[in-house]
Amino acid sequence: MTMREECKEYFEKISEYLDGELDSETCEKIECHLRECPECLHCFESLKRTAEICRSLPREKIPEDVEQRLKDKLKGFLSKDAAKSFDL
Amino acid sequence: MNLVKTDSTDHQLIEQFRNGSPEAMEKIVERYEESIFNFGLRMCGQVQDAEDIMQETFLNALRSLHNFREETKLKNWLFRIAANACLRKRRKKKFELERELSLESLMPGAGSEAKFDIPSLSPDPDSELLRAELRDVINDAVSSLPPKYRMVFSLRDVEGFDTEETAQILGITSQAVKTRLHRARLFLRKKISEHYRGE
Repeated sequence: MTMREECKEYFEKISEYLDGELDSETCEKIECHLRECPECLHCFESLKRTAEICRSLPREKIPEDVEQRLKDKLKGFLSKDAAKSFDL
Repeated sequence: MNLVKTDSTDHQLIEQFRNGSPEAMEKIVERYEESIFNFGLRMCGQVQDAEDIMQETFLNALRSLHNFREETKLKNWLFRIAANACLRKRRKKKFELERELSLESLMPGAGSEAKFDIPSLSPDPDSELLRAELRDVINDAVSSLPPKYRMVFSLRDVEGFDTEETAQILGITSQAVKTRLHRARLFLRKKISEHYRGE
């Protein structure tokens, strides 16, 4: 199945519509089209759900040793910086 | 000069740091280390690379914080440093080449059926296995995104920067951000749906 020409124009704008980045006139046109076109409605809803589940991905915790090495690096840098100021 | 863009806690910490408090820098790190680490992990895929990016970001920030004029939010500034660190790391390690995602290849019906099977995130604790599977599927899909799309997706959909902020962080136009984000989402939808259809 290929996409109908009239749907392509809306397809290109779906993310901007989802993000509230379109003017009200374009939003109304899209909403009107979504009411009439089940394929585009499915396309919109599945894209919306994709963005939602990707946003909800939990963050990885920083491994303790990685965090400790960062702290050590920063401390080392700060103490060198302090020593430089003292020399001055 | 506009000093109001950085949030008030960040502003206070920057002031304290400038007045000689090393603890202020530690607090800045605590506020942003996890998001920078995860950004590095998403962009480069390895814990070692994410560690390097996190260290480079905060060491560079430490060197330049005295001169930071607060014309942008501290978080945005840190992510600009981190994004540049990712680009340098990728160049150095010769990661996968950039490729374009064409809109045509991502249109419904292009090489697949027009229906997409995208699962919902169930809050049911019994479905932990399903959620773990979904996490893996999403992570695999994100890591297979070409890097310039992954970068925009990470900043917009994961870190929550708006289009304008993302454009400023990456030094690209707002239109480029919108185009890349749309294609990244379409690509991820296709990949996730293919997994759940058993394709």
